[in-house]
Amino acid sequence: MREKNIHHISKGYDILLKGAAEQVIGLHKSSQYHISPSDFRWLKPELLVEVGDTVKVGTPLFADSNNEKIVIVSPANGKITDIVRGEKRSIQSIEIAGDGSENETETTIPAEFGRNEVIDILLGNGLWPAVRQRPFSIIANPDDTPKALFISCFDTAPLAPDISFILKDKKEEFKKGVEILKMLAPVTLCMRPNADNVIFESIAGTDKHYFSGPHPAGNIGTQIHKTNPINKSETVWFVNPQDVVTIGRVFLHGRLSFEKTIALTGPCAQNPQYYTMTYGTDISQLTGSFSSINDKNLRIISGNILTGKQLSENMSVRFYDSQITVIGEGGKREFIGWLLPGLKKWSFSHTFLAFLSKKRKYDFDTTMHGEKRNFVMTDIYEKVFPFDILPMELLKACLIKDVELMEDLGIYEVDDEDFALCEVVCPSKTECQKIIREGLFTVKNS
Amino acid sequence: MSFLEKWSDNLSKYFEKGKPLHPFRALFRAADSFFLTPETTTRTGSHIRDSVDMKRIMITVMIALVPALLFGLWNIGYQHFTSMGESVTIWQSFWYGFLKWLPLVIVVYISGLTVEIIFAQHRGHDVAEGFFVTGLILPMILPPDIPLWIVAVATIFATLFGIEVFGGTGYNFLNPALLARAFIFFAYPTTISGNSVWIAEAGDAVTGATPLGILSSQAAEPLPSMLDMFIGTIPGSIGETSKIAILIGALILLVTQVASWRIMLSTIAGGYITAALLNATGVVAGTPVPAYQHLLMGGFLFGAVFMATDPVTAAHTQLGKYIYGALVGIIAMLIRIAGKGYVEGIMLSILLMNIFAPLIDYCVVRANIQKRKNRARKI
Repeated sequence: MREKNIHHISKGYDILLKGAAEQVIGLHKSSQYHISPSDFRWLKPELLVEVGDTVKVGTPLFADSNNEKIVIVSPANGKITDIVRGEKRSIQSIEIAGDGSENETETTIPAEFGRNEVIDILLGNGLWPAVRQRPFSIIANPDDTPKALFISCFDTAPLAPDISFILKDKKEEFKKGVEILKMLAPVTLCMRPNADNVIFESIAGTDKHYFSGPHPAGNIGTQIHKTNPINKSETVWFVNPQDVVTIGRVFLHGRLSFEKTIALTGPCAQNPQYYTMTYGTDISQLTGSFSSINDKNLRIISGNILTGKQLSENMSVRFYDSQITVIGEGGKREFIGWLLPGLKKWSFSHTFLAFLSKKRKYDFDTTMHGEKRNFVMTDIYEKVFPFDILPMELLKACLIKDVELMEDLGIYEVDDEDFALCEVVCPSKTECQKIIREGLFTVKNS
Repeated sequence: MSFLEKWSDNLSKYFEKGKPLHPFRALFRAADSFFLTPETTTRTGSHIRDSVDMKRIMITVMIALVPALLFGLWNIGYQHFTSMGESVTIWQSFWYGFLKWLPLVIVVYISGLTVEIIFAQHRGHDVAEGFFVTGLILPMILPPDIPLWIVAVATIFATLFGIEVFGGTGYNFLNPALLARAFIFFAYPTTISGNSVWIAEAGDAVTGATPLGILSSQAAEPLPSMLDMFIGTIPGSIGETSKIAILIGALILLVTQVASWRIMLSTIAGGYITAALLNATGVVAGTPVPAYQHLLMGGFLFGAVFMATDPVTAAHTQLGKYIYGALVGIIAMLIRIAGKGYVEGIMLSILLMNIFAPLIDYCVVRANIQKRKNRARKI
């Protein structure tokens, strides 16, 4: 471990939520699968199947209309039962009824292959969407040459799954996956110092960086910013560790399978633990085991409480997520709540007495705790934002849609998830993530 | 659902668009969210939010102001009865001060909130909480006997031209309480300066000059003792006299992290160093007052703790806050010690730096941008 590769993140915050997953892996199966194009940012789907079609693992379901080589494939064997459409006929989800057989298929890998063949294999098997790019966190363009490819080997989000635990029995697949990705771009592995890094340390020919400190130390954006910041017209690719395993499995065993391990977490999850399931599997049966605290309604989130998506109907875990979080819906009105001492109220600020017990864990719910206001507390974002970027100035540049100013202030280095903590702690209840996402959209289309 | 919630639910119907009470929507919303926390839940982005909101921030500032306020109320009475040569109990002094202060604060809140609510209603906004702090601070930086109509005019002026024309709290660039005070200072100078206004209904026996007044007029009268200035048993604006009460408030603001320690620290450091330098270079005629004593006189400390730290009108960037604070301290002492025209400098110094804060921020932002450009060029 070289000294200069250790980075301490001091600005950040770990939200102590109840309901961490126990290190037990169960199996979750369902014959229903929901595949949703909205898992992939700004992707305009071009449908390749119809209701009634029979699909196998690896059968393309829809393509990216901007680059038809990029396809999203079926994770299961079965039949298309429905294509759910929403406003303006946008595709909400593709429903597949599984036939009960093992969700994997054989693929043939040529004996020798170079960079172009790897890209073709990934594209052809529907694995390419696993490779995303910064800026914008969209699916990478296979024709680009990125300056690096980052893999974050740990996650610091609230109740995030333990990636070392998930990869325990998939060491060889992960190693093979990294070797393949090395052919695309120089790979950087980001780890926790003094953690269980056995799997990652043994991989030769990669840059290794270590990040200590609170969330967002595990965010890919923080890691890129601290080690290899993105300048205008540069791109960095990144892949989630579980997707590295999926890629490794194809090249090591010739088997294509979208099975991954998902952590069920949160204060309202009755038995928080890990489950192995195929991407897209319906999880509504899992919800039978969720229990409410104080008879609140439940909110089931694919992902973590900072950046996840609320699931309502057609519930399945999103393509890039490895976590389900279940919390209670809030909305209870409180008599002069802003005046009470707040012995049990969580706040990053020290304005409630609860700050005196630093280790307390909370049953968070979805209450907004206030109304929207203009920016007033001008130094609060810096406390949870480890970038050398002026967060409020960047937000304001996004609000006025000044593309040049956004570029100058470093919009290419951030993503909405990097502003999640700013959004949580903001007393003016500013929707920071939405503002940044729309800012990125403006920059991309300018 | 509590009785209050049902009541609020039933009432809210009448304030909807097209209903008879719609013109009072902003007032209803303000009252409703005053009694009951809003029922909204997260819709976009993060699924949880901090329990803190602007109401909590503002009530924290108001709590921090309470020690200085309570002491100030007592001190109004104490100064009055002492000047009359009478000796009374703590409660009599306090009650006397309370009755002097109550009309002031009522006038400030009614005149300011009326403007605020009219604008909130007109623009379809909610009433912002910022004015509650302004309304509490403003009487504290006024002399006790100031005519109420002047206070009303100044408050309306400051709310209208200090806050609302720019879009409300958060968009204003001048500290509204100081703007109101400056308005009185320049429009009705005799009510807020000189030696005769700082003791309510003073007896004839004493001049009633503040320590800074004594200093500037170079009168033969001795300065009050250091201890009196620290505790605050001296004539002055209602909230400024007790340094110990202000420091308790500062502690509350720093522990709760509501005010920026960067600004407080750099303002006090800037003021102290400037006073020390001016003393050392011999700019001041006669025996100079030691620099630390300057920190205990006038409204410097009150301004540094409660007014320079206003997060909206101060510099917004972290580096900018240091520069802004230091300049507030430096200019305040320059006006006070080297300037001939004004007795105290903190009000004008904060207002001046309020105007310069965006420029300071601009420079900090440019430096950040330049750093990023240099990084890109290296490759």
